Amino acid sequence: MNKQMMDIPELFEPEVDSLLSEPFVDFLGFREDVVNDENRYMIDFREEHLGNPLIRTFHGGILAAFGEVVAAVHLARQRGDAKLPECATMTFDYLRPAFAGTLYAIPNIVRAGRRITTVSVQLRLDGKLVCIGRFLFPVGKKDAGGIA
Amino acid sequence: MNITSNLGPEYTTMAKEFFGSHHPLFNSFGVEIGLVGKGQAEMSMPYSRSLSDCRGALHRGALVTLLDTTCGLAIFSALGSLRPIATIDLRVDFLRRIPSGTSLRAVVDCIGRTEMVAYVSGRGYADGSDEPVAIVAGAFAIDTMGPSFDAMRSEEPA
Repeated sequence: MNKQMMDIPELFEPEVDSLLSEPFVDFLGFREDVVNDENRYMIDFREEHLGNPLIRTFHGGILAAFGEVVAAVHLARQRGDAKLPECATMTFDYLRPAFAGTLYAIPNIVRAGRRITTVSVQLRLDGKLVCIGRFLFPVGKKDAGGIA
Repeated sequence: MNITSNLGPEYTTMAKEFFGSHHPLFNSFGVEIGLVGKGQAEMSMPYSRSLSDCRGALHRGALVTLLDTTCGLAIFSALGSLRPIATIDLRVDFLRRIPSGTSLRAVVDCIGRTEMVAYVSGRGYADGSDEPVAIVAGAFAIDTMGPSFDAMRSEEPA
């Protein structure tokens, strides 16, 4: 194996930051920190996230969009992918009004299958569960395996 | 066929006020109302780089937001009023990738409702194609928390 080939894996090493370099991710105000070795994902309410102006809640589409980004980031990190996967199907349950505030997301890989990986995401506000989302990501044959 | 006449001009005006430039999200998305009829609504949004993904296409989350909003308008038009509603659940299937640099359009029907819940089904399209990029199905609770959206009218100039 020559030197050039040995260098290739380094060139394609996933860059954590490049995962999140999407304008829409900035629009959400997506941020994260690490608590007890666990990634915590969150967004802070902005006027551009407003759904019902009379009771000042997040828009349902913003909640689902945040859930999808969290699911994709979580899955990409687990797999060591350099690009965010795109979900094929999302189902989203709205359990309580999500009032303006800071939303936390807790992702969980429900099943990593050969064709489809299912990721669930809980959204919490002030300690209360406000939404549950389920996101189906097609994982092609080339990508199959290697998921924790 | 003029389906707008089913709703009455006052509701179209109210809907345009509600979904118009007074609302920060709809304003930043550039949401435009198309046809609104009894139980059916059409809305669109232009391409915007700030709402795009790494490929330069509008992000799936932007499409979901447009679809959710259009579901709401379809229900308002079925109810014939702006009574408060809230999404119970939403399912979106993405049939193909959203092409880069294109606007999006959503068309939603309110298929049926009980006293408390309205059921919707719709499609999302990329500009210039009749093949849907996504399909949506959802349920919305009727008469939820908060005042009727008509209350917006007294707070803001017409």
